[in-house]
Parts: sequence; C-alpha cells; structure tokens
Amino acid sequence: MKLKLIYSRENLGKPVLSDVISKTNLPINILEAKITLNTGEMLIDVPAVGEKLKEVSNLFQKAGLIVKEITRTIEIDREKCISCGACVSPCPVRAITQDLNWDVDFDEQKCVGCGICVDACPVRAIRML
Amino acid sequence: MSEERGIEKIRTYEEINQKIKSGDAVVLTADEFIKAVEELGLEKAAKEVDVVTTGTFGAMCSSGAFINFGHSEPPIKMFKCWLNDVPAYKGLAAVDCYIGATAMSETKGFEYGGGDVIEDLVSGKEIELRAEAYGTDCYPRRSIETTLTINDLNQAILLNPRNAYERYNAATNSTDKILYTYMGTLLPHYGNITYCGAGQLSPLYKDKGFETIGIGTRIFLGGGIGYIIGEGTQHNPQNQFGTIMVRGDLKQMSARYLRGATYNKYGTTLYVGVGIPIPIINERVAASAALRDDEIFTNILDYGVPSRSRPTVKKASYSELKSGKVQINQKEIPSSSLSSNKVAKEIALTLKNWIEQGTFLLNRPAELIPNHREFKPLEVKGREPKVRDVMTREIIVSKPNDDIKDVARTLIAKGVDHLPIVDNEGKLIGIITSWDLAKAVAQDKRQLHEIMTLKVVSAKEDEAIDTVIRRMEQHNISGVPVVDQSNHIIGILTTDDISRKLVRRVIA
Repeated sequence: MKLKLIYSRENLGKPVLSDVISKTNLPINILEAKITLNTGEMLIDVPAVGEKLKEVSNLFQKAGLIVKEITRTIEIDREKCISCGACVSPCPVRAITQDLNWDVDFDEQKCVGCGICVDACPVRAIRML
Repeated sequence: MSEERGIEKIRTYEEINQKIKSGDAVVLTADEFIKAVEELGLEKAAKEVDVVTTGTFGAMCSSGAFINFGHSEPPIKMFKCWLNDVPAYKGLAAVDCYIGATAMSETKGFEYGGGDVIEDLVSGKEIELRAEAYGTDCYPRRSIETTLTINDLNQAILLNPRNAYERYNAATNSTDKILYTYMGTLLPHYGNITYCGAGQLSPLYKDKGFETIGIGTRIFLGGGIGYIIGEGTQHNPQNQFGTIMVRGDLKQMSARYLRGATYNKYGTTLYVGVGIPIPIINERVAASAALRDDEIFTNILDYGVPSRSRPTVKKASYSELKSGKVQINQKEIPSSSLSSNKVAKEIALTLKNWIEQGTFLLNRPAELIPNHREFKPLEVKGREPKVRDVMTREIIVSKPNDDIKDVARTLIAKGVDHLPIVDNEGKLIGIITSWDLAKAVAQDKRQLHEIMTLKVVSAKEDEAIDTVIRRMEQHNISGVPVVDQSNHIIGILTTDDISRKLVRRVIA
C-alpha cells in the first residue's frame, strides 16, 4: 500500500520514518519526497496489509504526521487513447507498458502518481485521480 | 538506377485496376507482404502480389484546412477570423480561411488548437466563428459572431503541406533536466527514448525510390479518400526523409484518424492518418515494400542540445525502437513511440479492405515526386549578439577556502549577486549566490566550500544569447559564468547584463 505522509514544521526535525521502520521491521521504500524548511510531503510504499498496515499508519499518526492512503492514482480514458506510446517510456517506474497489439497496459501497483504521463499524453486521455 | 524510374515491368496500373474491379486483386498489408517474401522469395511474391498497403498515424504539424464559410447578409470581407478562439489565416478572399494545426486558442493556449478545431469539425460539433472586418463599399459588415458545423460549410478541405515523413529521428536527453519537446517528454540522463514513424508500415519507406508515389496518387487520408498533390516541404528523399503534400475532403473524414493533440509545453498539432497503396510494378518497388523494421534505421539524437545539428547518440533500427528498450552505454533505455503503431496497422488493413472490395482504385501519378532535393538550412544574415558581446568581463571570484563573511562584504561592496569559485589555476569549480550566503549565515557556516554549488551551469562566449537565456530559465537561475574550452573563467553573464545591454529584446 502507498501512503502519503504530510509533515508539519514541528515533526520535520524528528527521524519519524526511521523510528517506524525500526519498530515494525518493514522495508519501507520512499517513492517521492519534497522537504523544505517548513513542510514536508513524502510518498512511501509499505509492503503490508491489514493489521500490520494499520499499525504503520497509527505510528505515523502518533508522531504527528497526516497519513493518506493512496489507492488509485491515474485513469486512462480508453475512448480517447490512440495507443501511441507517448506516456510509456517517460514513466519513471515503468508502470505503463504496451502489449503486442500496442494497447496500453497500466500497473496500478507500480504507479507512484507522479503525473508525468498526464502531461505526456498528446490527446489528454490520462487524468490524475 | 539504370532503368527508368516508375517502369511498369511486372504489371501496369490498368491491369491492377482490372483485377480490383473483378475482385481478383491480391492485396497485402506491408506486414503481410514481408511474411510472403520470407516464404516465397522476393521474385515470386512480387509476381503474386498486386498491391501492398501501408499506414501511419502520427502528429503532423504541417497540417490544416481550407474553409469557405459562404456569404452572410449583409456580406463581410473578413480581415481576421477565429474558430473557437483559434486564429485562422485570413490573407485570402472574403470568406475563405486556412486553419492551421499549430495555431493556438487565444483563451485556452496549449489546451486547444487548430488541430482540435479540425477534429471537432470532423466530429460534427458546433464551432464558434468570430470575424472582424474594416467594411468596404461592397462588403459593409464589420463583424460577425455565429456558430456553424461542417455541414454548413461550402468547402472544408484538408490540405497538409508536409505529411508522412518517410522516417524520423528518435530522441533522448543527456541533460539533468526533464525536457518537453515536439518529441514528447524526455527524462534526464538518457532516461528514455521516443521515436516516430511506422517503420515497416511507413508509406514513403515502402517505395523509397518514389517510383509509384506522385502527384495524383489516391490515398487513405484521415479516414477518407485523399490525393498526393506533390512533394512535401522539407522533402529530403536522398536521406530517407521524404515527405508528401496531401489534400482531401474533410467532410468524408473521421475523427478516429484526425485527432487534435498537444505536446506539453511545446504546442498543439494534429494526428493525421495516412495510408498509401504501393502497386508492385517492378522488383525494386517490391524490394522496398518488403523492407523489415530491422532493415530500417534512424538516428537517436540528443535533444538536450538545443541546436539545428543535434549530436547522434546511437543509430538504431525500428525493430530495436519498437522492442521497448535500446542499449546506450551498456544501459537499457526504455523506448516508446509517439505515433500510433496500432492505428497505423489499422489504416493499412482498412486500405486493403477498400481495395479488395473494389471501392478504391489505384492511379498512375501525373508526375512522380522527385527522388532528390537539395536540403538547405536558413542562414541568418546580419550579426546577432553572442555571449561575448553582452557578458561582464570584470569578474570577482573567490577561492574555496575563503571566509564567508569576507566574501559577503565583497559582494555588498561590488554590488554583485553571483560569485564564481575558482581553483589556483583560475578554473571554475563552483558558484555561490547572495542567497546562498544569506542561508550560510543563518546556518552558521564558515568557509565557502561548505556551501558552494559544485554543479555549475555555465556558458561559452560564442553561444547565442537566446540559447543561454533558455538555459537560465530551465535551471531557474539568474546568471552563468562564462568559461573557455579548458574551463577557465573569462566572464559572467547575468539577466541584469541582458536586460541592460539588449533593451530592445524581450526577456521572459
């Protein structure tokens, strides 16, 4: 499950993420991070479901972070899509591929919601959710 | 070529059309013809197959439509006009205009352009027409605002000065910034490769000697029937960059094969579907029609170099590009197309069906398209300012071990914002700005090397000013050190220099 963590100024100085990793023993992966002096936003991938995921989420919340579960990222309008491929190679995590018929396949699991594909699509067939 | 170009040695156009009418013509798509040649050999396949169909569906910026609105009461001699806020060219008669694919909406900008107007017309959507005039004795009306659909128009004629490039250069990006180009989104550090063109389905590559393609060739255009009306602009057939000019009735076309599009931060365009039937009139034409993706090559260029002559990173075949990954410097780089291979196949198949059904006949061109054409660049006459003309030569530099407070005092005393840092030989190794210094003081740092930026964006003295302005915009900086070939600092160029010394020019 992907989680978006929002840091406020107060909790930016604390090693929240490493605390959670050492407490849960989960190999959490940082997908995207924007940290400034005052605010921070991080997209992480937590390899857990159910109770374990809840535990992770609670730990972050206890540390004062806002936690949002990212379930869906983008949507491809198949009516508009011309199967060109302009979104395929720019995808930095290879979540978008083309099959043997050149139809565009999208792997929600891999997607980090960066939105590069939305801008790359020449016929505006992709939108962020 | 010893024989005459276009010689009908295996079969004539009349023979082909006779077979099409009787339903006996053997028509294969280029994909199918390649397989037939593999099975039967070229000679036999050429004898058996009458026509090979091709297809491509890509962004073709040199596209647009001539429109005639008909006369209003009282009539108007339109001086300027807009379709859905997109300006159309009005240097024509009273109610004729040309709407070009790359013209952009004056209210929506990149979001909507001439390509979209054409798609909306073809889809039967209502379009807003606005026009202005100065009023004449014969045309008194001064303005018009109304709506129309394609059915209200006398003529709506797609007329594209350059379509269906035989092949196209592929693109990658060596810089550390993401680039938004007419070749799509290019990730930094050779992050991806984009390419265009249908390779073994590409209409013009399938008759690369231009033996059957000429003025009057009947083609699939935008889902309807169109004609080649001559060589396209920038036609460069001797380097396999041939192009064609085409024309067709927009009223017959379909939005499936004419799609308005936007390249992010580049502009609007039109995806055009083109399919050309290649009559197998002689063995040279057959050999060209049988070329496979792995025999059709193109260069991958570095679009990180914003120059007319971009360096070639690698030569690659269309089969390599279509595989989705290309090796560069021992690394596998993802590649993907900008034109649609899926729709290209669909067009070749549709054209095949039309011919098989007897509804589409071939015709002998009135004149073949030239197979050689000089390809000239535009030389800019007159002297344009270079970096050396604008840069400041009296530069203040520092050494990495200088004390931050001393440096801050120097910056204030000299009134500069950028301080290049050099080694003992005067070679550029870093830079700091007044903002960096402010930050350093806040964080209690002492020496320059603790805070200096090591990856310095620089310029060369013979570069064009516009190139360097764009570089500063990309990196969101306001000055660059100017260095010679061996990285010795020789000056500094700031937005301040540019605005003071080039006042007549606009800086974004």
